[in-house]
Amino acid sequence: MDYKGDIYYIEQIVAGNSNSFSYIVDRHKNKAYNLAFRICGNHEEAEELAQDSFVKAYRSLGGFKMKSSFATWLYRIVYNTAISHVRIKKKGILSLEDFPADATDFIGTNTSEEEADREYRSSLVNFALQKITEEERGLISLYYYDDMSTDEISDITGISKSNIKVKLFRARQKMQEIIEKVEKKKLMYHE
Amino acid sequence: MNNQEKHTEDILRQYIDPERIEKAPEGFTSKVMSRIQLEKQPLIVAHSIRRKNLVPLISSAIVILLFAAAFLLPGSESDSMSLPVLKLLKNIESSLPEINLSSMFRPTLPSILMYVIIGIFVLTLFDRALYGIFHREK
Repeated sequence: MDYKGDIYYIEQIVAGNSNSFSYIVDRHKNKAYNLAFRICGNHEEAEELAQDSFVKAYRSLGGFKMKSSFATWLYRIVYNTAISHVRIKKKGILSLEDFPADATDFIGTNTSEEEADREYRSSLVNFALQKITEEERGLISLYYYDDMSTDEISDITGISKSNIKVKLFRARQKMQEIIEKVEKKKLMYHE
Repeated sequence: MNNQEKHTEDILRQYIDPERIEKAPEGFTSKVMSRIQLEKQPLIVAHSIRRKNLVPLISSAIVILLFAAAFLLPGSESDSMSLPVLKLLKNIESSLPEINLSSMFRPTLPSILMYVIIGIFVLTLFDRALYGIFHREK
């Protein structure tokens, strides 16, 4: 079925048809889940956080003034929910030793070497993400995975555009250092 | 973007594949919907929207009715003053600063009407301001 746009379904919900919310959830669930996952780094928690965010969005639909797009408003809820959750439940710091040195560790029974390499890179990014702050993780996710502009990120996070640029720069630098260290370790392992 | 920034970004782009986003697990939508069914929220959502506009709507209706009455209703001074409520209003009126309404309303209607309209208008603005403070969009 063709998606008729967020506003159409919101009007249906406000008119009393709560089942219309399922179309909105279906439409936005992957991006919401991905953002929650990048910030908290755990699949179970990400699912819980993304679900909580949708329920919060549903409860607050009456207060949604349509000044921004529904997606921006929803991602703001996901971002804030995930950041608060991680701040409450600070994790222990991961060491480089926690990351497998060999890409072959990512080869499953049915995966090709190419797929294993992609899996390795993806895991390395997730590992590096866990070594930066939760706020930086959110920014990196919105910028790289959702391909959002600094204007859109500013709308979601409430951080000024110039501050976003500075924070993104620092986050990128930190991640680059981590990735380079892991790659060096990998080279040493193979020598 | 300076060269160092560009270099750092390029390296991250090699590792971050936007196509490879983490997808919500199976049954995600149905889990959210079952939580929502428990909430029974639509009534509250609809109610809050109706309640939001209730005071301004009622206030506007009263002001319009009063204006219509001031311009359209025929009547005599003695008739209207025979009502106890209007007598009370007349007493209140005497303690308020004088506003000459003869240019606006028929002389048969009490000039307290202007104070009532101003009062409703101020209270409506007050209501909107309080609503804005306590129901800000999160």
